[in-house]
Amino acid sequence: MSNEKTSDLTIELKKERAGQIKFAIGFVVVFFALLVLFHVITGGQFLSGDKITVVLLHSIWPTFAAWALCFIFASGYTDLSLGGIMVLGSVSACIFGNWYGYIGVVLGGLIVGLVLTFINFNIFAFTKIPSWIASIILALIYEAIAFGMKMGASTKSLVDTELNRDYRLLGKLPWSFIIMLVCLVIVYYIYNRTTVGTNIRAIGGNADVSKALGINITKTLLGIGVISGILVGIACFMQESYAGRVTVKTGLTSINMILQPMAIYLLAKVLEKKMNIIIAVPFCSFIIYAVFNVLSSLGVPSGTLQESVLGLFIVVFGVIGQMGVKGVVK
Amino acid sequence: MSTGQTILEIKGLNKYFGPTHANKNIDFTLKTGEIHGLIGENGSGKSTLISQIAGLYGHDSGEMILKGQHYDPQSPIDANDHKISMVMQELGVVGTLPAGMNVFLGRTDKFTKFGIINKKQLNREAQAIFEKWDLPRVPMNKLTDGMMIETRKMIELARALSVDPDILILDEITQSLSLNNRRKLVDLINKLKEDGKSIIVITHDVEELIEITDTITVLRDGAVVGNVMSAETTPDEIKQMMVGRAMEGGYYREDMVPEYGDEVVLSVKNVTVKGEIEDISFDLHKGEILGFCGLSDSGIHSIGKAVYGLSKLQKGTIHLNEKNADIKSAPQALRSNMGYVPKDRDNEALMIHASIRDNFVLPSLTELQGPIAFLSPAKLSRLASETSKQLSVKMTGIGQPMDALSGGNKQKVNFGRWLAKDLKVLVLDCPTRGVDVGVKAYIYSLMKQAKKDGISIVLISDELTEILGMSDRLFVMKDGKITKEIRRDEDFTEQSVIGVMI
Repeated sequence: MSNEKTSDLTIELKKERAGQIKFAIGFVVVFFALLVLFHVITGGQFLSGDKITVVLLHSIWPTFAAWALCFIFASGYTDLSLGGIMVLGSVSACIFGNWYGYIGVVLGGLIVGLVLTFINFNIFAFTKIPSWIASIILALIYEAIAFGMKMGASTKSLVDTELNRDYRLLGKLPWSFIIMLVCLVIVYYIYNRTTVGTNIRAIGGNADVSKALGINITKTLLGIGVISGILVGIACFMQESYAGRVTVKTGLTSINMILQPMAIYLLAKVLEKKMNIIIAVPFCSFIIYAVFNVLSSLGVPSGTLQESVLGLFIVVFGVIGQMGVKGVVK
Repeated sequence: MSTGQTILEIKGLNKYFGPTHANKNIDFTLKTGEIHGLIGENGSGKSTLISQIAGLYGHDSGEMILKGQHYDPQSPIDANDHKISMVMQELGVVGTLPAGMNVFLGRTDKFTKFGIINKKQLNREAQAIFEKWDLPRVPMNKLTDGMMIETRKMIELARALSVDPDILILDEITQSLSLNNRRKLVDLINKLKEDGKSIIVITHDVEELIEITDTITVLRDGAVVGNVMSAETTPDEIKQMMVGRAMEGGYYREDMVPEYGDEVVLSVKNVTVKGEIEDISFDLHKGEILGFCGLSDSGIHSIGKAVYGLSKLQKGTIHLNEKNADIKSAPQALRSNMGYVPKDRDNEALMIHASIRDNFVLPSLTELQGPIAFLSPAKLSRLASETSKQLSVKMTGIGQPMDALSGGNKQKVNFGRWLAKDLKVLVLDCPTRGVDVGVKAYIYSLMKQAKKDGISIVLISDELTEILGMSDRLFVMKDGKITKEIRRDEDFTEQSVIGVMI
């Protein structure tokens, strides 16, 4: 009886493994087919070394922000103030970078990202205000702080001082790509293979069960603050290293900073049933920025129209990804 | 400790929830190698008592002594460390985590090296628990979201067994299980007893409780009203102790003749739902109770979903004759005067965090709405108040959230809200799961009345006695197919059904 069960399970596991391999092959084929399609659409311009480099470089900092969102959303919380934190973190990376060089760039972004995100999760954990409401208030505060630093300045100078060109190496290839690959491995293990990652996913799945099984909800929330804070911090200095500057936002427009990471998260979430979400994120980030690049090449005005096309692209992708899934997808 | 020694002693335990005195001076003794039953009406304080033993709640006064030592668990993990574990009635699993991880959730440290969990080892150990106790196989890497309630209960059971408990507490687990898995559970309980372990069992099935336990403690209104030896008591004595008076009349129908009209209300023809049921055909007549029974993978629960338009049919039709319409979706079924009470009430039937009022009125919103779809709050409240009064729902008011109610009272809402509608067809999937004898008798009386009023009922149940007690005809299912039809005036016995089922 027991042997029968074991062999049934082995067969099932083999089937599952075969299914995963089949999906991985299919995914790679679709991924390259999309690149070829983009190449054709742009009249043979897309698959050039320059274009691929631009897309890859642009897709790296949002990958970190999207990974932070993976942890936050997995726990069932929402943080709309991440854009505000990113603005302050990027400003800090720029100021301290210009003062202290690379150490200033890294620590300037990392510390602001980590401290502010950690503060957010303390507020979520201890005040019990719904996180989406609390995070909107926090976004307004962070925007006000950034704006306060620029009080009385002209609109033009709301764009912060540029980061010295000598300290932008982390935003260039191969360094940015290497940092992303190293972080991919670390983030994958934290999310999937550590107790804190498991606990984060557990409280998002069923907080009552988690609590009853001895998981400390407050401690886990603070853990999210630390992990996602580090990822936001990295996103801050990577963004500053790549772009060299950031514009101070007001009136909740800082949320724009995380719209694209949210789109990446959403696309990766669609693939989650077949592919680990942490691995899916960099691919989705690349695809999304490739779409933007193609749209620019086709002369579609940047901003709202490009984002509408991106939204449509995600919806279509989402519908295809959820085919055959039973029940309600929340 | 040798068998028969006291392992747990509870003296004068009291627990309050605000003004509610949930446990009153409870005295309770559990011996090694003893199977001890706890029974009482919904809200009698059983779950509160075992929650204190399992470390979910602290107690306000009194004392617990475990193996001769003062025992005051600060958390379920603390209770686990004292070798006490529990499978709870309403807790469940984390759907976003795989089965193996759910077995060791909160205790993953023993598989962790340098901060990384060894998933292979964790799954291997989880699998070993399933094999050791001969539990049905579950893919350890698969997310528990979407698994059947029975499979999820098995994962919870494996979780409880994984601490190698000296005391295992089972809170109404049997009613989530089909016949074959119930038998497995009884074997498991007996195996634990042989090993000198102690088991506390809560179930509302009095006959089952008497059969599987050594001793029974009866609770009423938060207090112990009696302790009896299972071999020396009768179901009637237990029921009388539970409700405080003699229970009059039988649970089930006393007639043995199928009684229903000639008019066919619903025709199901060649229905196939991929991977669930195959080529199902039957007619449901006016005023008929049509039963479906079978083992865990027989597909009986898929029948209810398919009839109510919740499943995608690969083949076949579900035709509602009065409306001359094929049922293709749940909203259409609702508009066509059909109702559905699913087995998994917390996840599939009730809005668990919404108020009792909102849950009561939900299926009747179309009937309640006024001009320009306006819903009068007074009308909604009136319907909810009247129905809850009629069903004697124990609550502080209709504004109370659903999750504050006991299992039986939730089921009253789940069932009762359909009775406020003018129904033609009612699909009931395990309608008495987790309810006490009083509520059970009441639900059966409501079913009898519905039948009298000409409502046709599809009754799906894991309890054979229920199916045999209430149905005019029954279909036995196996591997997604109907294997036998038996009428109430034919060989309508457990033996004839079990013979086909297995």
